[in-house]
Amino acid sequence: MAELIGGILILLGAVLHFSAGLGLLRMPDPYTRMQAATKAPTLGNMLVLGGLAFYHPGWTLKLLILIYFVLMTNPVSSHALARTAYRIGIAMTPQSKVRAQPRSEA
Amino acid sequence: MIRRAGITVVVALFGLVFASVAFHHVERQSLPPLSLSYVKLVPQELGAPNVITGILLTYRAFDTLGEVAVLFMVAAGVGLVVGAGGRLGAGSHVEAREQARQASEIVRTGAQILAPLIAIFAAYIIMNGHLSAGGGFQGGAVVASCVMLLVLANPWQRLNPDFLGSAESLAGVLFVLIGVAGAILAGGFLDNRVLPLGAFGAFFSAGAIPVLSVLLGVKVGCELSVIIDGFRV
Amino acid sequence: MISNVVLATGFGLILTGIWGMLTHRNILRIVIAFSLIGTGTHIAIVAIGYVANGTAPIIDRALSMTDAPAYAVDPIPAALVVTAIVIGLAVTAIMLAYAIRLYDSKKTLSIDAFTESRW
Repeated sequence: MAELIGGILILLGAVLHFSAGLGLLRMPDPYTRMQAATKAPTLGNMLVLGGLAFYHPGWTLKLLILIYFVLMTNPVSSHALARTAYRIGIAMTPQSKVRAQPRSEA
Repeated sequence: MIRRAGITVVVALFGLVFASVAFHHVERQSLPPLSLSYVKLVPQELGAPNVITGILLTYRAFDTLGEVAVLFMVAAGVGLVVGAGGRLGAGSHVEAREQARQASEIVRTGAQILAPLIAIFAAYIIMNGHLSAGGGFQGGAVVASCVMLLVLANPWQRLNPDFLGSAESLAGVLFVLIGVAGAILAGGFLDNRVLPLGAFGAFFSAGAIPVLSVLLGVKVGCELSVIIDGFRV
Repeated sequence: MISNVVLATGFGLILTGIWGMLTHRNILRIVIAFSLIGTGTHIAIVAIGYVANGTAPIIDRALSMTDAPAYAVDPIPAALVVTAIVIGLAVTAIMLAYAIRLYDSKKTLSIDAFTESRW
């Protein structure tokens, strides 16, 4: 039973990773691509590690620390990348409707 | 058109060769004789549970010294190639850095939380080289990633090139001195039995291997930090 | 069986890298493809050293000193790859430094702009 829950969580994490890869190929501009490539794998990693905790209950504390680490690092690095991309002037796709800050003040 | 066809032919030929190698590869059932002797000798003679670190830091330690020399040359080369372009003169260098905008609050806060964690992790990897997976090279790379995080969070902060240079050179000199001590006092160059072997699996064991790991970690960390610093504006 | 799969994965990465290096015109994408070739080679080298039913060559609770010669995986390819990974990082850094200088000279990242050494 525990293995079934763990298996389902790992499968969900794998589906999220696949959607991240798909988004990386199909998204129109760098900002949406960054969103796909960093936000989805964060949750995917967390689900895979959580599912692993059901298979090996002895590793739960280590896996929780790993989940915390992933949650701290991925959003910070993607924010740094996206902010730099905005500041150096990379254009957004024309389909986006946005009222953005001026680039020099981002 | 011709180029596309040519590329496809080249990739297909490589693919054929690789496919035949992967298909006919037969999994080994037992270790080859050299690896067998290493797996037996490293725990017994060197007192190190990690066979790979024993190979890298004692039996093939001279190759490790050569790899470190390659890293040093690359660090010097990056500084030369990037810096020689005159992208910014020496004066405007400093001004540009002082005018550089502060990093965003998220990155600064994240760096405050993560930098100690990463530093502890790097120290752990370096010190545990002889007991479990780890060692000088891997720990040095993690040290450099900690430096990179701090550089991202504080763009106006200069790295001190004198400190990095002298730390790196000191670590290299001590590495070679321990090696020469090994040649004089024990079996050969960079033999780890100059220091007592200690209890198997204890923290202070395996002779000079932890000391060599630390020196290697410091040297690799400094060199990669110099490479990262060379790319800054 | 497992080592055949891992070996094929490594070779697949090398093929992807070769194709990418020959096809793309942007210098940074060529550098990424080069890095892919390096990673694929590391995976292939480690896969060759696998011994059937083996485990990592580290003597701890999972592998005692007497079991080690029978159950340890080949440590020599792993030792080679450890340094190769760090050297790969350094080589990528040199390639990016060259990309910076090339961009400074012609203000474009397309490799079609550099035709001086073509026949």
